[in-house]
Amino acid sequence: MPSDPFIERLVADLRPVRRRSLGRDALILAALFGVEATLVVLLGLLRPDMAMAVAVPSFWWKAASLGVIAVIGVTVALVSFDPVASPRRGLRALLAVIAASLIVGQLIDACDVGCGSVAARLDWHSGLHCVAKMVALSVPAIFGLGVLMRRGAPTDPAGSALAVGIAAAAWGAFVFVLACPFDDPLYVAVWYTVGCGLATACARLVLPLLARW
Amino acid sequence: MSGGPWGSLMAAAQAGDAAAYHRLLAELGFWLHRYYARRLPRAMIDDAVQDTLLAIHQKRHTYDPQRPFEPWLAAIARYKWIDRLRTLRAAATEALTDDIAQPGHEEAVTSAWSLDRLLGELKPAQSDAIRMVKLQGFSIEEAAARTGQSVSLVKVNIHRGLGRLAAIVRKRADAE
Repeated sequence: MPSDPFIERLVADLRPVRRRSLGRDALILAALFGVEATLVVLLGLLRPDMAMAVAVPSFWWKAASLGVIAVIGVTVALVSFDPVASPRRGLRALLAVIAASLIVGQLIDACDVGCGSVAARLDWHSGLHCVAKMVALSVPAIFGLGVLMRRGAPTDPAGSALAVGIAAAAWGAFVFVLACPFDDPLYVAVWYTVGCGLATACARLVLPLLARW
Repeated sequence: MSGGPWGSLMAAAQAGDAAAYHRLLAELGFWLHRYYARRLPRAMIDDAVQDTLLAIHQKRHTYDPQRPFEPWLAAIARYKWIDRLRTLRAAATEALTDDIAQPGHEEAVTSAWSLDRLLGELKPAQSDAIRMVKLQGFSIEEAAARTGQSVSLVKVNIHRGLGRLAAIVRKRADAE
């Protein structure tokens, strides 16, 4: 049975609190995304051939897939910060969307006339640069979602951290779409998967420790 | 408000009403004591109750008075239960003194049909190792001698068994 002094201490520490609001959390993240995307444009990182890129189907595949994954991921993560909610069903949906995106990418690739060898298409030197930039661009999202996760009460920290990782990785990659000049579906499938995988793994490993309660 | 009497008390506490909060915590203390009595060894109950009350205090802003209070409370209590199982897993398995180790008093030690039922879902070698070392206070070596397992196998069975217990509890929570 809890001792009276213990309860007295908790009561003495009582302060009015502002209730957690899903809408407010979403607005904070939207503002963070706006700042990050604006900075990418203001710093002159926008790809120079953007006018031509918008005519390429694989550009839209890349942007739409990452945008959808980011939105679903953020939603699953935010909902899972409620102690009553579980992220598991949302994570299964996310995996299905990721798999569907990769299949669509392969179809677009199959419709295209292949040019060059696989090694040339993958261009590992540029690929590694892209991976580094994607991971860097996902850091603000990991930080923002991590703060909200700490403030919330996730009862499945591993699942929530995974949802945060996928959401943040897709977020970073989505912003990077503005700067990345590569639209080859093979290149995107390989290097974006590596970049997103790294960002996801970081969040999955670190956040459960930081958001422990 | 649709959170019931406890939901109303918590809503008042969120606004800073100390009297309502005191009443709520006292009532929750009884509820949590009964909850953990069926799920944890007796020696761990008081700590679990205090730990959960502290968690409720720190996370009280996550309760929405428009929703029922009990599922919110149960989710936090279950989370802390899983946490306790993990603590049990990480805790050093040191030998207790002979007067504490009492084979044959299992029911009194576990006092938990729920925990007992969960242990029944593990492999016999895992549940035997957990019962002896974590609940009855035998040393690893004593448990090894009684079960015929090697010392390292007892350690592995405890580690994997407690991990499996936490996974079972979490999976059931998801299924609910």
